[in-house]
Amino acid sequence: MIAIEELKKLKADKVVDARGTACPGPLLEAKKAIGTIKPGDTMEVLSADEGTKSDLPKWCTKQGHEYLGTIEESGYFRVFLKKK
Amino acid sequence: METKKLCLALYTGSVDKLTAAGVILGGAAAEDMDVEIFVLLQAAFAFKKENAMVNDRVAEITDKKDDFLASLKRLGTPHWTEAFKKAKDLTSIKIHICGFAGKVWHGEKLDDFIDLADDICGIAQYIQAAEEADLNLFI
Repeated sequence: MIAIEELKKLKADKVVDARGTACPGPLLEAKKAIGTIKPGDTMEVLSADEGTKSDLPKWCTKQGHEYLGTIEESGYFRVFLKKK
Repeated sequence: METKKLCLALYTGSVDKLTAAGVILGGAAAEDMDVEIFVLLQAAFAFKKENAMVNDRVAEITDKKDDFLASLKRLGTPHWTEAFKKAKDLTSIKIHICGFAGKVWHGEKLDDFIDLADDICGIAQYIQAAEEADLNLFI
């Protein structure tokens, strides 16, 4: 994970807006999008689903990607990760 | 990373439980699991071509069925067939219709069922898949 201030400055290589979907939508959108970026690239997933906050870090750990952190905005979350 | 196997004995023909199954399949797809689904008795009714999109039976809390279905719509939850298809597009999911269950609902051929179904099988195939799976579920 990286410091929240660093996270706020991060411009992800790929942004996935999954705010219109409920669980497991954000997870599946992340899964689909991760295949479109290169190893070492970063991805930001936008989600309004509370479960995403715990789902995506766990998914990153199991898949070997690096979970960078989460920023809480008004009504949604920005979850950052780096592809293995 | 070792591929994990999920074996799902799908008995239900009710959209509440089929929707739950779709959510679980989404999780399995995100984890790249190999999934084998065995469509048993009442589920075979839901998988018939003429029933899949019009069947709106729920198994539990039936007095709140309208609220439940409205909430699915409000939340943008895909129909269970769409959830199954999305999961199938992302990982290996084989859907087997139990031959006996098919006959119960007058489905003799694979073509009697929605395109998600891969084949019609016997119970020995289910037992083998269940023995080999890392995770077994009955819904």
